[in-house]
Amino acid sequence: MAENNNEVLLKVENLCQFFKMGKMELKAVNNVSFDIKKGEVFGLVGESGCGKTTTGRTIIKLYDATSGNVYFKGQRIVAGIRSYKDAIKAKRAEANAKIKALDQADPDYSAKKEEIVSEAQAFITEQRKLIDEARKDHKNCDKEYAKLQVERVKEKYNKLMQEADPAELEALKKEYKAELYKAKRAKIVTQIQMIFQDPIASLDPRMTVKDIISEGLIINGEKDKAVIEQKVYEMLELVGLVREHATRYPHEFSGGQRQRIGVARSIIMNPDMIIADEPVSALDVSIQAQVINLLNELREKFGLTILFIAHDLSVVKYFSDRIGVMYFGNMVELASSEELFAHPMHPYTRSLLSAIPLPDPIYEKQRKRIIYNPLAEHDYSVDKPSMREVVPGHFIFCNDAEEIKYREELTK
Amino acid sequence: MEKKLQVKDLTLSFRTQNGKVQAVRDISFDLYKGETLAIVGESGSGKSVTSKAIMGISAVNAIIENGEILYDGKDLTKIGEEQFYELRGNKIAMIFQDPMSSLNPIMRIGKQLTEAMLLKGKANQRESKKNFNTMLHYLEQNMISSVADQGAEKAKEISAKVKDFDKFEYKHLELEGEYNEALDCATESVEEIKNILFEIEKNAVAPKAVAGRIKIILGFAKKAVSRYVVHSNASRYNELLAAVSAESKNVKVSKDFTQLSAQLKEMLEILEDAIAYVQPNFFAMGYYLTFSGAELPEMPVSELNVFLRKYLDDNFMLDFIAQAKKGIEYSYFNSVENKKKAIACIDEQFGVFNKEELVHSEVNAASKILIDAVEATIDRLAIKKDSYAYTFELAIKNAVKLYFTGIAKNDKEIKRHEKEQAKYDKIIAKGKQPEWKVTPAKVIDLDLAKKNICKLLTATKENFVNAVENMANCDFDAVTVEMIDYLKAQAAGVVNKVTQSMAKRKAIKLMEEVGIPEPRKRYRQYPFEFSGGMRQRIVIAIALAANPDILICDEPTTALDVTIQAQILELINKLKVERQLSVIFITHDLGVVANMADRIAVMYAGKIVEYGTSEDVFYSPAHPYTWALLASMPDLDTNEKLDAIPGTPPNMIYPPKGDAFAERNKYALEIDFEMQPPMFQISETHSAATWLLHPDAPKVNPPKIVTERIERMRERGGSSNG
Repeated sequence: MAENNNEVLLKVENLCQFFKMGKMELKAVNNVSFDIKKGEVFGLVGESGCGKTTTGRTIIKLYDATSGNVYFKGQRIVAGIRSYKDAIKAKRAEANAKIKALDQADPDYSAKKEEIVSEAQAFITEQRKLIDEARKDHKNCDKEYAKLQVERVKEKYNKLMQEADPAELEALKKEYKAELYKAKRAKIVTQIQMIFQDPIASLDPRMTVKDIISEGLIINGEKDKAVIEQKVYEMLELVGLVREHATRYPHEFSGGQRQRIGVARSIIMNPDMIIADEPVSALDVSIQAQVINLLNELREKFGLTILFIAHDLSVVKYFSDRIGVMYFGNMVELASSEELFAHPMHPYTRSLLSAIPLPDPIYEKQRKRIIYNPLAEHDYSVDKPSMREVVPGHFIFCNDAEEIKYREELTK
Repeated sequence: MEKKLQVKDLTLSFRTQNGKVQAVRDISFDLYKGETLAIVGESGSGKSVTSKAIMGISAVNAIIENGEILYDGKDLTKIGEEQFYELRGNKIAMIFQDPMSSLNPIMRIGKQLTEAMLLKGKANQRESKKNFNTMLHYLEQNMISSVADQGAEKAKEISAKVKDFDKFEYKHLELEGEYNEALDCATESVEEIKNILFEIEKNAVAPKAVAGRIKIILGFAKKAVSRYVVHSNASRYNELLAAVSAESKNVKVSKDFTQLSAQLKEMLEILEDAIAYVQPNFFAMGYYLTFSGAELPEMPVSELNVFLRKYLDDNFMLDFIAQAKKGIEYSYFNSVENKKKAIACIDEQFGVFNKEELVHSEVNAASKILIDAVEATIDRLAIKKDSYAYTFELAIKNAVKLYFTGIAKNDKEIKRHEKEQAKYDKIIAKGKQPEWKVTPAKVIDLDLAKKNICKLLTATKENFVNAVENMANCDFDAVTVEMIDYLKAQAAGVVNKVTQSMAKRKAIKLMEEVGIPEPRKRYRQYPFEFSGGMRQRIVIAIALAANPDILICDEPTTALDVTIQAQILELINKLKVERQLSVIFITHDLGVVANMADRIAVMYAGKIVEYGTSEDVFYSPAHPYTWALLASMPDLDTNEKLDAIPGTPPNMIYPPKGDAFAERNKYALEIDFEMQPPMFQISETHSAATWLLHPDAPKVNPPKIVTERIERMRERGGSSNG
């Protein structure tokens, strides 16, 4: 599976998502970078309010990113512009300071000033260009993808139609038209689908199960009712429901069955990637197991890539290949799941792991929870921290002194 | 251990349009003081229904068909709404699963937290006064009766003594209240000062914010000066307060913390000294001030305590205790005598209830005699109430009434049902589908009703026999001390008035305790400004505000993430130990249960299928349903496919004939579909309801995933123990 496949499907680069709160700014996601390989399950953990859901939603473009890029299949789908703007601001301030420092009496004064200004101007134009590009990419990624799809369809059918019998031509033309219609409406973002936390709130109570599951298909231009019906039944059976359920309403189902409907809705678009936002947190233990088993089966069947957001660490450990730990908008540690649980390095990860309850009374009575206090643990007053690869595949948010300490401990 | 709550044979159903849903079927458990009982099961297994019945907040269509919930001399299934007002929230509190629906969206958090405190404060005062007065009254009566042979003079003397006690008891509490307030403020300021010193050391506090923080600290610190707290060096302390206040404004400009932290450290030293000081004996002081007519002598507190104690003992206390002891002894032996009589009485009247068919007039007469006999056995001076005796009257009246209603109505009901059924069948025979349904016959099982009466009598008798046998074990000195303590506590309740500012301080402390940062700011916010975890913490804080006896937690951490879950569980555990709280913890997460529970009841389809200590249930689970629950949750070492439980729980309108879990059970035997398994006792503390434990059953091992995990746990437990 994921181990022998190194193709990067999703790449998140310095992603920032800030929210305005009056004059203040809430840094929900701050400079988060990671990439997800094809066929892999990437777990994102952290306490509530640490920005893991926001990260997922920004990737799928439910929010407009403040800064940073997200590449999906090599194409930029999310691009924020704040970082460029900040760079421009900094350059301007720098140039102004330089001009101020110049001696007015100097005979070369105006020439030197000119030089500084022109240099700054060049930098700013370059940044502006980047901003324009980012805006374009962010806005038009779907259009470009659609263009590509249209060309592909045209090429395919032109070839087919040239070779086809005149008798079949009419049918082929019809097919071509339908395909073209769909291709024109294709969106790259629909290749990423989301499963939401609350199975009750995420399903429209006034729509039947069939309407809910097929909605995505219809929006994307599928018009053939027989095909839609066929696909809906297929999906229902895939997630362990039966055909009769298609005409019912969401309130007639139990919690686990509702979550299954949510899963069916997300996989009907045949996505390459699924963002599962706490899909089992609201469910009973026995039903949790059913849904996790279902996701595992689907993953093997379709080679799905999953971004699994959760706070139940035992489930994340069981399900994920690699895990990223988030704390107040920052990614603090990222490693493969075995590595992370065997050698947790960052004090926050340790505190998180020490809080997992296990079904073992004696162990539980001895368990000591580690309390994480960033003020007491780190001294970042001089040396600022960043994300560093301490040993291959194991990233930790730390500064120089800590990096050395961690490396020593890890290689011991 | 003391039993706080007893649930016996509770059966509860819901009337619905389609028939009766049997939500809880014949469950029994006990809750001891200071322990946690966990109820585990899937949703719909009846765990929440049970807890709601205990709280007296069952849905309107719920019928309690059988059984008792005994708490503090009351049967909670039979008391009215008036009496529940006194229990709910005050003695039995509940934390609900969904925090948003248990908070008022248009009220500030602070108000919601203090509202109950203020309201309950007044009610508590009233309640305590009532308790204090009645108990003192009974004590006086018994003390007088115990010396009845010594003439009226002695009786008068005793009455006077009791009056004296009443008088100075209140006086001492006023002093103590003052002292406690100052001590509280001192402790609070110590914590705050420590926090700010730590932050200054770490360079994490902005000079601009210092003045505000210091102002809050000083607010507390000023109140810490009182006669017994910061007394000896009060002048220096006051100087410091002024200096700190001035310096905090300077810091804004100078950005230099050295002087401020030096001053704060000195303040901290004084306060810490003050807190470590010996607490004066206010009880004795109250007596001295009331009756000696003199001022308190100036001497160190430890010496003062000895002096006051001696004065009290010589003049009043020893004598009073001796007489109170006599009174308690008198009442106790009186009650034992009455119990012996009651046993004889029950034996005599038992025949009336143990007949083929009961006669109304006979039964009424007999139950009247019995009620009187049992009523006489109640020892009014016992602080722990005898639930059997207190609830006997209601219980027997209800049981008898049920039987005779059955006799009167059963035939009618059966006739009605037959008629309706015939009509229904007729329409069906014509090939039409009627729009209405046949209402099932509500037939009261006469044999069962009779059996219940007999069971009640034998249980009461057994209880009395036990009490008579244990007569010699009673330590009256200890009981007397307990009685005096009880009176003191009740009197404290009368004097402790809850004011707005006290409530606010307590609320902020509670908010801090449950882990809400910046509680002073949060105090003024609305629920929608809180995240899910924060809201749940507020709900827990509200439940804890009234200092309940029993705390029912209905999946309190299901919606929270691990760190907060761990914090909240630790909080509940800490409070349990501190306040001797009994907790009923309802959840489906077995990991959480292992941390919390002393004992576990696994519920399925309204029945308890396994019951035991947490070690029993986790290390040697016996019921297939427990195996399935354990197998369906991953832990950190699980790699293989999870064993999900197939299917869904049965429809409880038509409960299955045999074991309810048989349909979904891999290990089901043939008999499981035919007959309900009884509870098999595995060890003294452990029992399970499955036919697999029957001696004739084939040997079945739990699934591999479970046995392997237990093996791992044993290894880990062994290594960490050794």
